[in-house]
Amino acid sequence: MTAPGLSGRHSIYTGRVTNWPAVTLSAVLLLPLLALGGGSNQNWRDLALILVCVAGVAMYAVTGSSLRIMAGPNGVSLHSGILPWPRHTYHPDRIQRAEVIDLHPLFVTFGFWWTPRRTSYTLRSGPTLRLLLTNGRTVTLTTPHPHAAASAINDAKPSTRG
Amino acid sequence: MRWTVDHSSQEPLQHQIAGCIRRGVASGELTTGEQLPPSAELGVALSVDRNTVLAAYRQLRDEGLLEFRRGRGARVTSAGAPLASVTEAAHALIDTARAQGLGRTDLIRLIEELT
Repeated sequence: MTAPGLSGRHSIYTGRVTNWPAVTLSAVLLLPLLALGGGSNQNWRDLALILVCVAGVAMYAVTGSSLRIMAGPNGVSLHSGILPWPRHTYHPDRIQRAEVIDLHPLFVTFGFWWTPRRTSYTLRSGPTLRLLLTNGRTVTLTTPHPHAAASAINDAKPSTRG
Repeated sequence: MRWTVDHSSQEPLQHQIAGCIRRGVASGELTTGEQLPPSAELGVALSVDRNTVLAAYRQLRDEGLLEFRRGRGARVTSAGAPLASVTEAAHALIDTARAQGLGRTDLIRLIEELT
C-alpha cells in the first residue's frame, strides 16, 4: 500500500554500525562496579555512589552501543542504541548537501560528540558521511557505505525541493 | 544498503521490497545475522505502509532468507545467503537471455548442455 499522491522511484539508504569500543568499555567498567556493590561491608553512601555509576555506565551502553542511519527523500534519521531514544531526524530542508570525507584517525570520536559547530558519531577513520546543514553545522557519521548514503541524500534533493 | 521502490510500477511494493533484500544479500551488503530496519521506520522512509514491509519480511521468512526473533526484529539467516545469490544470478541470466531473444526452452537447453 502506497501513501496517497506518490509516484515514481523512491530510493533510500539504511546502515547500521555497532560501537564495539562502547560495548567493551561498558562491560569492563560494569563488572568491577557490580563486584564493589555486592560487597557486604558497604555503607549506604558508597552503595548509592556505586548505583549511580552503574546506572550511568548502563545508560551509556544502552544508548551508545550502535548507530542506525536511514537517509532518503524524507531526510536523515539517526537512531542510537537499542531503546526508542535517543533518535534525531534532519529534515531535507535542513540539509544543504551530503558528502563523503576521509576521516583522519585523530578525529574519530568513538561515540556521540557535540560542539556548537559540529555533531559527530564516528567509530573509525576512513570514508565517512558528512552532512552540511543550512545553518552551517556539520554532522559526521560512520556508516558502512557512506557513498551510497550521500548519493541517496543528494539524489533526493531535487524531487523534495521541486 | 540501498532500497529502491517504484510507486508507479505494476509490480507490488511488497515484491519490490523483498527484491531489495535479496539483492542486498546477494551483493554482500546484508550479511548473515544482520538485523533489518524495523518495519515501521522503513515504511515511513519508503513512504509505504508498515504492513507492506511486514508482508515482504514474512515472504522472505517463508523462503528461509530471514528469521524473526522476539524483541530483535528480522535477521538474515545463514541458510538464505547462498540461495539468494543463486536466485539473483538466475534472475540476471534470465534477463540477459530475454534481451538476446532466447526463450525459456532455449535457456533450459543451454543450462542442460553446460551442466
